[in-house]
Amino acid sequence: MANSASGMAVNDECKLKFLELKAKRNHRFIVFKIEEKIQQVVVEKLGSPDESYDAFTSSLPANECRYAVFDFDFTTDENCQKSKIFFIAWAPDTSRVRSKMLYASSKDRFKRELDGIQVELQATDPSEMSLDIVKSRAL
Amino acid sequence: MYGGDEVSAIVIDLGSHTCKAGYAGEDAPKAVFPSVVGSIDQMEVDDPANTENSGSGNDSKNTGRPFDSEKSKGKRKLYVGSQALGHRRDHMEVLSPIKDGVVVDWDIVDSIWDHAFRECLLVDPKEHPMLLAEPSSNTQQQRERTAQLMFEKYEVPALFLAKNAVLTSFASGRATSLVVDSGGGSTTVAPVHDGYVLQKAVASSPIGGEFLTECMMKSLESKGISIKPRYSFKRKETRPGDFQTVDVDFPNTTESYKLYSQRVIASDIKECVCRAPDTPFDESAYSNIPMTPYELPDGQTIEIGADRFKVPDVLFNPSLAQTIPNMESFADIAPSVRGLPQMVIESINKCDVDIRRELFSSILLAGGTASMQQLKERLEKDLLEESPQTARVKVLASGNSTERRFSVWIGGSILASLGSFQQMWFSKAEYEEHGASYIQRKCP
Repeated sequence: MANSASGMAVNDECKLKFLELKAKRNHRFIVFKIEEKIQQVVVEKLGSPDESYDAFTSSLPANECRYAVFDFDFTTDENCQKSKIFFIAWAPDTSRVRSKMLYASSKDRFKRELDGIQVELQATDPSEMSLDIVKSRAL
Repeated sequence: MYGGDEVSAIVIDLGSHTCKAGYAGEDAPKAVFPSVVGSIDQMEVDDPANTENSGSGNDSKNTGRPFDSEKSKGKRKLYVGSQALGHRRDHMEVLSPIKDGVVVDWDIVDSIWDHAFRECLLVDPKEHPMLLAEPSSNTQQQRERTAQLMFEKYEVPALFLAKNAVLTSFASGRATSLVVDSGGGSTTVAPVHDGYVLQKAVASSPIGGEFLTECMMKSLESKGISIKPRYSFKRKETRPGDFQTVDVDFPNTTESYKLYSQRVIASDIKECVCRAPDTPFDESAYSNIPMTPYELPDGQTIEIGADRFKVPDVLFNPSLAQTIPNMESFADIAPSVRGLPQMVIESINKCDVDIRRELFSSILLAGGTASMQQLKERLEKDLLEESPQTARVKVLASGNSTERRFSVWIGGSILASLGSFQQMWFSKAEYEEHGASYIQRKCP
């Protein structure tokens, strides 16, 4: 267990939807948020398989933190079709300290629930999760 | 498990220079006071009248609770808080409980906690869970001792020890980062990965704000400027706008108190005029820079030139301190002390290759000394020159100066106020069942 973990629980639906994304590939991305009232991480938004990376980034709020998972399709230099599952911790600089603290201290436990993440990114502004960066991390 | 009722927790960050204490959930600490205390040996001075008019003085011996050790040190009266320290007393020594980031005098720590609870926050520690920030290097014994004191003496209902670096990292929204904490007594570089401090890669140096203050003072002295402590003179207004300064002599003032009082002033000079130079300090290039005036408390106006840049540059290039007259004491440790950019690079290079890239792009500045003007820009520039070319170097500091100075405390304040965190406390019942060593399990 990491030091100073928040103790936030994870709603079962998070794991379920993640499994669907991983195994059935019927979601392109999932956005998760922390619901403080019930002290759980819950699913906020699902993206259908045909949605683009731009559609994904625009579904993250500009001033609030979120967790997200994105199933990234790409072609390698050898012309091989591949995909990788990204975990993104979105903590924009402009969000409130409370929100940053809440998400950062709940992340370790949450991530452990999602088995099969291949690449992890933490982004504090849109440039840190640009398509170029995602591509370079995928290869 | 501590059943979190509606009582708010207390958060304390006892640094080597300042103690920050306040209520969880608030934006900033309620009380900020020096981590040093005044101490008068009761063997020497046994004057009851002196005790009575001490006002805000805090006599830890009169609180009626037993002390398990330190009895051999004899009776002494401790004065805690800016006010109590601001008042000069005969034979009063100024002592620090912390040396090289480690608590060496628990009696003093105890008096500081007591002062925070009873005189600053006005709370009964029995009723509030306590979240204490601890340095990353805290040893197992230190942590157990802390738990023991808190549960046995203060009878707190619950306790949590949170690591400085982790709190700073989380408060910036990052579970992974490199925390550069430059405080009063030392500078520590600690990599944090997913909430774990990577202990093997932690680097620290004794160069912090107090060392820079010392450099400033010695350098001014070498130029014939002596700082008169506030207690050593009286200023009278002879005519409107016309002041006369009369020296007062107190032969029984201790050397440590004199030094403490001078440092308060030197530290203010440093905070007002210093600025990290954009490039490594070069004596000849700075010989003609314009002087900046500073008015000392005794009315004397001094002019500070190259020292404005030279003193902060010591952080980047510690050997520069040896060019300041009378800093000989530094020579012993000089060979082992690294400059800030080297510490950062060494620390990152001790981490796993996979996370180095992430660490380079999230270097967080925290602590009072890190608020120095232009320090962030200079560190970023030096690191860009010395880091691998593929690394994307990014040095970050909160734009808000309160958040920058108190990032550790603020992180603790938010954490302790989260609803979900209430199940994470190390409770009194658990302490009674498993003992002090259980702290290692509850607060890893």
